[in-house]
Amino acid sequence: MAKLLEVSDLFVSFYTRQGEAQAVRGVSFYLEEGEVLAIVGESGCGKSILCKSILKLLPYNGVVKGGKILIEGTDITAYKERDMERLRKHVISMVFQDPLSTLNPVIPVGKQIGEAIRLSSQGMKKKAVEERVAELMEMVGIEEPESRWKLYPHHFSGGMRQRIVLAIALASHPKILFADEPTTALDVTIQAQILDLFREIQKKMGTATVLVTHDFGVVARAADRVAVMYAGKIVETGTVEEIFYDSRHPYTQGLLRSLPAYARRGEELYAIPGMPPRLIDPPMGDAFAYRNPCALEIDYEKMPPMFQISDTHFAATWLLDERAPKDLIPDWRQPYA
Amino acid sequence: MIGKKIAAFFFSMFLLSMAVFSVARLAPGDALISYYGDRAERMTAEERVWAEEKLGLRDSLLVQYVRWLENGLKGDFGISYKYKTGVLQVIGNRMENTLLLGGTGFLLIFLGALGLGSICALTENGWMDRWICRVGTISSCIPEFWMALVAILVFAVNLGWLPSSGAYDIGKSEDVPNRILHLILPLSVVVVQHVWYYAYMVRNQLLKELGAEYVLLAKSKGLRKGKILCRHCFPNMIPSYLSLMAISIPHILGGTYLVEAVFSYPGLGTLAYESARYHDYNLLMALCLLSGFVVILCNLAAQMINEKIDPRMKEQTYG
Amino acid sequence: MRDELLAVENLTYCFRHEKHIAIQAVDNLSFQIREGEILGLVGESGSGKSTMARCIMNIYRPESGRILYQGIDVWNPKEFRRHKRLLQTSRQFIFQDSSSSLNPKQTVEQIIAEPLKIHGQKPERGTFRGEAAFQLNQVGLGEECLDQYPNQLSGGMRQRVAIARALTMKPRLLVADEPIASLDVSIQAQMINLLKRLQKEHGFSMLFIAHDLAVVHYLCDRVGVMYQGKLLELGPVTEVFENPCHTYTKSLIGAIPIPDPRLERARVLPEFEKENLEWRGQKTEVSFGHFVWR
Repeated sequence: MAKLLEVSDLFVSFYTRQGEAQAVRGVSFYLEEGEVLAIVGESGCGKSILCKSILKLLPYNGVVKGGKILIEGTDITAYKERDMERLRKHVISMVFQDPLSTLNPVIPVGKQIGEAIRLSSQGMKKKAVEERVAELMEMVGIEEPESRWKLYPHHFSGGMRQRIVLAIALASHPKILFADEPTTALDVTIQAQILDLFREIQKKMGTATVLVTHDFGVVARAADRVAVMYAGKIVETGTVEEIFYDSRHPYTQGLLRSLPAYARRGEELYAIPGMPPRLIDPPMGDAFAYRNPCALEIDYEKMPPMFQISDTHFAATWLLDERAPKDLIPDWRQPYA
Repeated sequence: MIGKKIAAFFFSMFLLSMAVFSVARLAPGDALISYYGDRAERMTAEERVWAEEKLGLRDSLLVQYVRWLENGLKGDFGISYKYKTGVLQVIGNRMENTLLLGGTGFLLIFLGALGLGSICALTENGWMDRWICRVGTISSCIPEFWMALVAILVFAVNLGWLPSSGAYDIGKSEDVPNRILHLILPLSVVVVQHVWYYAYMVRNQLLKELGAEYVLLAKSKGLRKGKILCRHCFPNMIPSYLSLMAISIPHILGGTYLVEAVFSYPGLGTLAYESARYHDYNLLMALCLLSGFVVILCNLAAQMINEKIDPRMKEQTYG
Repeated sequence: MRDELLAVENLTYCFRHEKHIAIQAVDNLSFQIREGEILGLVGESGSGKSTMARCIMNIYRPESGRILYQGIDVWNPKEFRRHKRLLQTSRQFIFQDSSSSLNPKQTVEQIIAEPLKIHGQKPERGTFRGEAAFQLNQVGLGEECLDQYPNQLSGGMRQRVAIARALTMKPRLLVADEPIASLDVSIQAQMINLLKRLQKEHGFSMLFIAHDLAVVHYLCDRVGVMYQGKLLELGPVTEVFENPCHTYTKSLIGAIPIPDPRLERARVLPEFEKENLEWRGQKTEVSFGHFVWR
């Protein structure tokens, strides 16, 4: 399959009063046509920044310091605002966390969807735009679009608002959709519905999706491939099954183990000790070493490379090196009860 | 709702009238001097009593107040002691000049602040933004009257380009270019003094809006930054800006009064200053009442604007 | 059966906006919290969980109904005045967002010692600093944090400080409003363990408000399910999770995402038509201690 998006060795820094915060430190990944790639990690691990730097929506103190971004084989690293506007009109779209704040509160929703349609297909007649708005609204599961497009965002519930945001994102028939925590602000009962909608539309339109989340439940439901980020680096990447059933990085394992869903009542919940490192002046070696109970000496000194486990499965930990002692990797795999 | 507001309006006007009346009357000074000039000092006691009686100054304050209020409600605010004609007529003559200065000033400030603020917001932290903010800070620190004096010194005295005072040259009151020429200096001072503050407000408000997530969404649609500003940010910002400007009208009006005094521009400002100096009670009270009326009206307008424009305020939903 | 510490009786609270609009945030709610138990309260956003907590903590005045804490009617001014000290010290509140609930201008030491100073209590461990250090130690933080300001700490550490502050008053009831919702996954597990350990050591009761059902299932003894200000189901956690009786509870429990791709994808979404919720408020006891309102 063709690689729609390819990022290699991307570095992004933020200049703050305390100094330079290295939010993304040498990230490489790719996205194939029609797949859903989930980027998982805790807050501050750089997952949202990674997305925004690809879309060039970084705040003014954020700078891409190195690396390459290819979209459909074209290098867009040096693209200026003008070129990005064209790209955003036709190729890429984005869905954000909080649908209430992403929709403009003083403009009716139909008009907001219509604006996106007009931008992507210029010179469209008013009637045609209206028809397309109705079509899009129906596609994302909003019934009776004609009676609803004059309403304002505050008339809709959270789940409905996220559907509208999705309609806006899909208006341009994008090839790549970035979804930044699209279900975090929604109630549990709505979450799965919205995720299923994502998958359904993605299958129908063949849109490749980058799904940023911290929730393994979301990953399990919607993703094809997963990239786990920690302290600005991708530490493990693989297919969903590889990550959930055969994770190799101690951080991924720790995260999965600490989910209350796996825990039995009465037993102590497994918790990764310590806290994520500060990104200003990050540690020299493996950033996770300080929280890793089975860290090797080399972890503190040298950054581990990506070790290949299968065609799709890679992990960055010295534990996978052939010289590493084999019995250190804890064996935990308990079926979900 | 409307009824409540109107009631509140009349109540405030009533309180204002009391305050204005008592302050004007309790202030030290002799009203007769403004009416009779030097002659008042040479009056005998009997003549004084007669004069005071004629002006209605001998009754108790309460009686005077009620009489004043009664006549005021009928539209009669008495006569100006200094000009010896009806107060309203005196004010009417000057009103036009002040409206010209204040009105154009306000309009220029309104548009200028919007423009400057937008430029600043678009070039956030760029050299344009930084310079505009710097110049703004400095010029709004300079007192108005001093700026006016320097402007007179530079443009009227040293360079001789512009007239230094008045609204028109004698005998040229119908001459439009002449009037405009006289307007330039005071207008510039008023605008330069106030525009920065509002430009700064616009800048910050716009930056706040530009940081909102719906701007990111608009960007990810592929909309240009200028268009995002016009189509998405302005509709969000305008209600609060309008209400801010409505509240600022009295503020700007106050500024105009000061500038008028320095330029001897025959407007309400100079009139108010004179009337206070010469204890021209009736005129002073009417002017204060007029200014207060404008203030209250503007605040009311600000409130109404806020409620009307924002669709979220019209019908609240919860949940 | 253990004694009851807090009893909520027919509590109703309305948010009033202007004259004619009133939103019933809490609707005729009754439940008890017993000594030394953790009662979980779940429901979607806007279901009135937080409002209820605030009523219990004397922040919002309820429209009607009573809240009895150790038999004291906390909204009765006379009784409140008589037991003011007890009420203000032995009930403590932990907010969701510790970045805004801790005073940014105070050091950690000041934050923790403040309640002692307000109530004029002598620190048990000699000095206020010693007391603060002790409490910090209890929540797993070192003494080096004493002189730091909240914004120098991470979210998890701030939440620990908030707990330490609550603990200085030796509370018997801790009301925690989504205390871990804003924390990271790996820190959440730490906090859950901490809360569990502290509860075991100190034996206080806790009202734990959350929207993450997996956490409630793991941590709590009993659970109440709220929806649109109404309590729909209340019972022991295992009972409710294994044998949910109300359709809404079923849909909530069915909606818990499973962190396992094969199971998660096979899961059928539960159907629940919110409009069709029939609620007559009839209380039935399904099994011992497991109530449903339908």
